[in-house]
Amino acid sequence: MKNFSEHQRLWFYRVLSLLVTALLAHLLAVWAAPRLIMHVLMHGPTAQKMNMHNQAAFPEAVTAKSRTVVMPSPDMLYSVCAFDLHDGPVRVQAAPVLTNYWSIALYAANSDNFFVRNDRQNHGRAVDLWLVAASPNKAQKPVPAGSDVVVSPSMTGFLLMRVLTTDYLAEKAVVEPARRTLHCSQG
Amino acid sequence: MSKTGHWSLRAKRIAIGAALYLGAVVLGLGSAWWVLKKAPWLNPSVEVGPWRANMHAGNQDAGMYTRATVAVNALLALDRDETMYFVATRDDAGHALRAQCNYRISGVPPQARWWSITAYAEDLFLFDAPNGRYSLNGANAVLDAAGAFTLSTGPTEQPGLYWLPTPGQRPLILTLRLYNPAPALQAAPQSLVAPTVQKIGGCP
Repeated sequence: MKNFSEHQRLWFYRVLSLLVTALLAHLLAVWAAPRLIMHVLMHGPTAQKMNMHNQAAFPEAVTAKSRTVVMPSPDMLYSVCAFDLHDGPVRVQAAPVLTNYWSIALYAANSDNFFVRNDRQNHGRAVDLWLVAASPNKAQKPVPAGSDVVVSPSMTGFLLMRVLTTDYLAEKAVVEPARRTLHCSQG
Repeated sequence: MSKTGHWSLRAKRIAIGAALYLGAVVLGLGSAWWVLKKAPWLNPSVEVGPWRANMHAGNQDAGMYTRATVAVNALLALDRDETMYFVATRDDAGHALRAQCNYRISGVPPQARWWSITAYAEDLFLFDAPNGRYSLNGANAVLDAAGAFTLSTGPTEQPGLYWLPTPGQRPLILTLRLYNPAPALQAAPQSLVAPTVQKIGGCP
């Protein structure tokens, strides 16, 4: 920089600061995107309409009109719950009686899939999970001894239950009651 | 220089500086949008034929870009132990898939408990299929004597083939989902016997 004039040095630092600003904006956008998308998913207009805060909700079967979450699988019947651990553990229960695949997946506020349990892993038993925070509030109630505990990396998150249905209309009488065994409640 | 002229020059400099910084922010946000939305499959961890997959999708060990890419393009993906997702945006010849073209997709059932091939438009939602068919899967696939399945996508039904209609003139995206993939496939995703994607005839 010794050979540059003061005017040139000034422009060098100006351009450098612009590049750093662009880089920071880029990194911030990439970091924030999954968190913002999850926030809208859990608290946006659709979530509020479905009333899924710490309780299960049951969207309609996937069709071409399903435009809430990208790449919906037309072969899965979805059930959802936006969990919030600020006021204590959340209990997740389900007892689907099905021969086909089903699973319950949990997603952190940054969109990571931190837990999944499917029908085979559950060996035909009913699901009874206690979802607790990794850093619980002091006032948080303890879960009953011997509970099946899942630690969430974030205070809020999303539960997605998938039930395989290759012909919804033909299987409706079986898959609808099965998915409606899902309960999500403040413990 | 008069006092008014001095302040006028100063205001001009501040305005130019603010505009430049605003431009830098727009550039940063725009480049992020381009990376995540327009070029999400730039860095796949696995490529098999025309199919690409990121094996860190949904996983807690995913990097910042993978996590954001999945959130934007395939929100709520499962970890690969549970489900593997392969995406094709090009045919076997390397040409971009288009809804207005007809394609034949053939393969053998993958090593998984359950599988499906679904056609999506570029907005990542299902096509408004007049026959109500959105996917070929392990339940409705008819296998030939060699144990292979074949389906077609496009505007025109192909005789004897399971048809996924893709109305409109827009990019086409195919997704191959493998639920509970075999451990050997999880360990070596590149060992997937990938379905072929071939264009049928001409294309408007």
